This record gives sequence, structure tokens and C-alpha cells, in this order.
Amino acid sequence: MSAPLVPNLFNVCEVLTLAIVWIVDQILYGLASVIPPLTGLAQWFDPAYRDRLHLTPLASEPLIIVITWLIAVTVIVIWATLFNLLTMMWVERKFYSRLQDRYGIMISIWSLPFWPFNRTRRPTHRGTGYLQNIADGVKLLQKENITPRNADSAMFHISPVLIASSTLMIFAALPWSSGFYVANLDLGILFIFAAFSLAPLGILISGWSANNKYTLVGGLRAAAMLMAYAIPMILCVIALVFYTGSLNPLTIVQQQDRTLVSLGPIGIPAWYIFSPQILGFIVFSVSMMAEMERVPFDIPEAEGELVEGWTTEYSGMRFGLVFGFKWLRMIAGAALITILYLGGWSGPVFTTLYVGGVPVPIVPEEAWFLLKVYLVSLVFIWISWSVPRVRIDQILNIGWRKLIPYSLATILIAAGSIAWGVWAVG
Amino acid sequence: MDVDWELIAFLILSVFEVIGSILVVVNKRMVRAAFWLAMTLVTIGVIYLLFLSEFVFLIQILVYAGAVPVLFVFGIMLTRRKIMDEPPTEAAP
Repeated sequence: MSAPLVPNLFNVCEVLTLAIVWIVDQILYGLASVIPPLTGLAQWFDPAYRDRLHLTPLASEPLIIVITWLIAVTVIVIWATLFNLLTMMWVERKFYSRLQDRYGIMISIWSLPFWPFNRTRRPTHRGTGYLQNIADGVKLLQKENITPRNADSAMFHISPVLIASSTLMIFAALPWSSGFYVANLDLGILFIFAAFSLAPLGILISGWSANNKYTLVGGLRAAAMLMAYAIPMILCVIALVFYTGSLNPLTIVQQQDRTLVSLGPIGIPAWYIFSPQILGFIVFSVSMMAEMERVPFDIPEAEGELVEGWTTEYSGMRFGLVFGFKWLRMIAGAALITILYLGGWSGPVFTTLYVGGVPVPIVPEEAWFLLKVYLVSLVFIWISWSVPRVRIDQILNIGWRKLIPYSLATILIAAGSIAWGVWAVG
Repeated sequence: MDVDWELIAFLILSVFEVIGSILVVVNKRMVRAAFWLAMTLVTIGVIYLLFLSEFVFLIQILVYAGAVPVLFVFGIMLTRRKIMDEPPTEAAP
């Protein structure tokens, strides 16, 4: 049983908000010495003054609570995109370059064009390559946003918004540890699936509205594939609910945080992958790869047949959004697999340091969770750069003839193992 | 001042829903009609959320916003031969 690094995101953000409000308050007091009417506003934000007047404390003001929620959402969005999305893109690009026996991206901090980094003896293109994605993003931001002639302009521009916002909505309910989440919903897994299922509409609209045959075929393929593969995913979750009895991700992880059997010194944890749900895990992972449009299932943007699939006509940062958010969906999918089948953030804790009375875990839950998420993603990347693309009829055959019967079988297995008591419900 | 915020939210959502459902019927372009249908169904889902039934809301989003409009658009694209308007022929110089 490990401990989270962020015990409660809302409380942490409240401290942050009050600190920001304190700084703003000092600025307001400074301004009030020049503009006297601002004194009242500055005093309203002053905790000491509020104490003297016996007003409610600043932290319970509705305005401050709203700002705290906004900051919590911002923290999660920045954490998901600016840290995890960039890292995942870097991991993928570096990893497939190594699989292809080449260096891959190498623009790093040593390529920055100012002094402490730009040293003459150090070659600029010999780094780890982490800044390559930022350079690509800046390049995309500078490009013109082209709308094709005769395209349905409003729909063409609304669909990246639809895709990006529905992808970010996943992270409202996706916990990163037992404390690092925005909202703890009872139906969190269902919320994540609902947010996942909004993207096919955006993809279809973008494919149709660009008035291009490649985008249209790509959009149709994407819709056919995503619809076909969402069904086995949800059936697998139904099978898993037989064991968990809950759709709350925190409850599901808590149930897996125990030892199943001890083989000598090694304890096998009670993750659902070690339960009879191993078939469900396989079906769920394959469906998730199709949902993420990764290579064996990337017929929506088959480069050899359709130019770039449904993203062909997008340019500039809109292309960056619809293209980059695939990695965000990959992170969300890997996190979902980790939560449902791989024990989430549960992991061994080695020791806990006490820094000023606050327990600081040496390996916090976030680290275990990220480790598992990135390992699952690495397996996905590995598979997708090692196997050829399958055809559209094969994809639909796999989806409707194989995965859906298998996922129905997982429901039977789950019901049977519960009825005969093969697996004790946590 | 005692404002019934739930009633106001319900009224705003109802206005969106009614406008969306009218646009579904009167829209000339079938795909846009399907898009407005998706918006109408999402608004109905949010009204469910207003009635504190989260499960019905999520199922509504999952099924009626994620799957049904996609099926409609799919059907429209499969049945109609001309999907978009033909590009206007360029006038002779």
C-alpha cells in the first residue's frame, strides 16, 4: 500500500489559489495607495481584515472556490498535455527510431540558440530530442490555417474542437493516483467511455466537411472501425463489473491492492489480469489499440492509400490538435487498461520519509501509475511498429466475428466464476 | 434574492433543445441535420443530469451522442450519391 504524492488535488490547488490571491492583494494595496477607491477591494481579499470583521474565511467564498476549481482543471490539463503528451510523443518517436536502427529526433536543450546551451564544442543535433516536439508545435503554430474551397467551413472548424474537448474531458474523471484527480465520480469508468465515444462523430464530420474524397473515405472507415470496436470494450467492462460491483476507478484499484497468492517471497497481486478476466484483458487491449487508431488498425489514415486519412485537409495547429491528441487518447487508453486490469497505482512501498511531519513516500503512487501506463504504451508502440496494417474487411471481421463473441464469452466466464466462487470478490 | 437556478438552467437547455430539434427538421444539408440531432440529444442528456440521474445522462451521451448520429451520418453517406454540393463550374474568362 503506497501513498499518493498529491493527497488531495483540491486542497493543494486551494493553497495555490490563496497564495496567488495574497500576491494580487499586495499589488492591490500598492495600487490603492495611488487610487484610494481600490482599498475596499484590497481589504475584501485580505484574510486578516476579514478576521477582524468576522466575515467568512476567504477559502469558503464562492469566488475563491470557483477559481480553485479552475486552477485544479488547469493543473490536470497542463499535466496531461504539457508533460504526458510531450513525453509520450518523445517516447514513441525515439523508440520507433531505435526499432528502425537510427537515432531519431535529436533536437534538445543543446540546440537552443542562446548562450548557456549553445556551446561551440557541442554539436547541436546530438541530444536526447525532447525539444523536437515543442519545435514541431511552434512550427505548426506559425502555419496558415487553410480552409479548402467548397468545404463546409463551420463544420470543418468545429470538429477539431469537438475531438480535442472530448479527449480532454476524459481527464476530468481519470485519476492519476488516489489523490491526484479532479472529480471522483461513482460512474467514472462510464464517464470516460462516454467521453471516448464522442470523438467518432467529430472524425466523421471532419472527414465529410473537407470536401475531399480521401478525408471522406478516411472518416467513413474511422466511424465504421470505432463503432465496431467500442462494443467489445464496453462488454469487457460489463464482465469486469461482475467482480468489482462498481464503476468508480478508485474502488476498482482499491480492490486490486491485495495479494492473491504468495509464491515464496514473491506475492502475486490480485490484479484482474490474473483473474479469469485474462481473456477480457486481451480483447480490451486489442479494442483499445483500434480505438487509438494505431498501426495494425490505422486504416482511417492509411498513408499508402489515403493521403493522411481524415486529417488530410487540416493545416497548421488544427492538424497539430487532431494529430497530437491521438497520443493523448493513447495515454487515456493505457491509463484505463492500467486501472481496470493492472492494479492502477497500487505498488510496493519501500519506505516513507517524514519531511516536517508530512509523510513523503519514496515511490509514490503516481510513479507506479506512470510506470505502468508508459509500459503499456510502449507495448502498444512496439506492436504498432512491428506489424503490417490489416485491410478494412479484415478489421471488420476481427471486430464483429472475433472480438465481440470473445467479449461475450468473458461475460459468461465472469458470471460462472462468480457463481462457483472461483474468484473471491474483493 | 431567491433565484431558482435549476429552473433557469432547465429553461436555457429547453431553448437549446427546441432550436436544435427545429434545425434538425428544416436543415437542407442532411449531415448538418445529423449534427443538430446530436446536439439535441446531448441537451436532453444534460436535462437528465439536471434531474440528478447521472447514469441515464452517461448512457444518453454514450449511445445517443456517440453512436446514433454516427449511424445516421453513415447511412446518409451510404445512400446518397451526391454528398456535397457540386463545385460551381468556373465561369469562362
